[in-house]
Amino acid sequence: MSGEKLSDLAPFAIRADLDRAYERAWKHLASPGTWWDGAHRLAMVRACREAPDCALCRERAASLSPFAVEGVHDSTSGLPDNIVEVVHRIRTDSGRLTESWFRRAIDGGLSETEYVEIVGVVSVATALDTLAKALGIPPRPLPEPLPGSPSRHRPANARRTLAWVATLEPEDVADDHPNPYGDKTPDLVANIHRGMSVVPAEVAAFFELDDVIYLPQFALKDFANEYRAIDHAQMELVAARVSLINRCRY
Amino acid sequence: MLLRESGEHYGETYTLDGVTGDGDGGVPHGRQLLDFAQAAIGGTEIQLRRAREALIAAVGEEGFVDAAGVVASFNAVVRIADATGIPVENFKLERTVEERAALGIDDWH
Repeated sequence: MSGEKLSDLAPFAIRADLDRAYERAWKHLASPGTWWDGAHRLAMVRACREAPDCALCRERAASLSPFAVEGVHDSTSGLPDNIVEVVHRIRTDSGRLTESWFRRAIDGGLSETEYVEIVGVVSVATALDTLAKALGIPPRPLPEPLPGSPSRHRPANARRTLAWVATLEPEDVADDHPNPYGDKTPDLVANIHRGMSVVPAEVAAFFELDDVIYLPQFALKDFANEYRAIDHAQMELVAARVSLINRCRY
Repeated sequence: MLLRESGEHYGETYTLDGVTGDGDGGVPHGRQLLDFAQAAIGGTEIQLRRAREALIAAVGEEGFVDAAGVVASFNAVVRIADATGIPVENFKLERTVEERAALGIDDWH
């Protein structure tokens, strides 16, 4: 997977760590995951890209309730309808997702872990494509899927006590799966880190990218030092605006 | 919450007027940053190109790249929170009562 580096496409300097993170994240999307192979994961990325132009999604977005509008999603991804529904809703209208909608997705044939991995793929793909759009460079052509099979390992200690999905507490991380929290001490593990922890590899992949495009956890409140070319207040102003646009309650 | 905490550190009072309206939040180059964030998420190609040029003029290319990263981060992380149903931590709710009211967040759910 070469020839699509951010620094090759952007007409301005790109930080080396950002260049590496972009490449690493794309490789993650194309690789076999924990529950889906690379081809399925890239099909989810395709569906994610198609979602903003989906007629059903647009109609639902304009509706007082998205559940009042029935129909079929526009998709060339080749994915089953139930997966396209999950991808499109997370991409286009995540602020109005409900636990009952999530339960219907599970009752429709997805396992909880398969669902969480879809959340991870959509989140990383959204970050990468948003970054490209913001920078003014074209979205990266989808790479070829990398060979291999999903590992299909669920952390035995994950339990549904916090969220719609099972989560893994830092003290319950075991040696037989990746540590979703990396080198974070338990006091630095927030609920946002726990959200996808039943699929640890997705937590690690998202926050490896996020540490570079935003800030690593240790730097969030280190106001005595600046880590980027804009300061903490400038970054948080941008963050607040984007969160408001997305109706983010978190 | 982090915007307020950074203001406390800098001895500044940052406001939510830019987040919700036409102000600049009291943050240097706040208007250009906000216009860029808005255009990157929901603007037309022309709006985004103009916002990009204005932001580069204000904070330079390095600052612009870093702002683009923040936009990307927060356009993605919200989906994890929303799609997994994780709750907001109690300490965050307690410390952001005024901000949540001002932004109307509590009215969404």
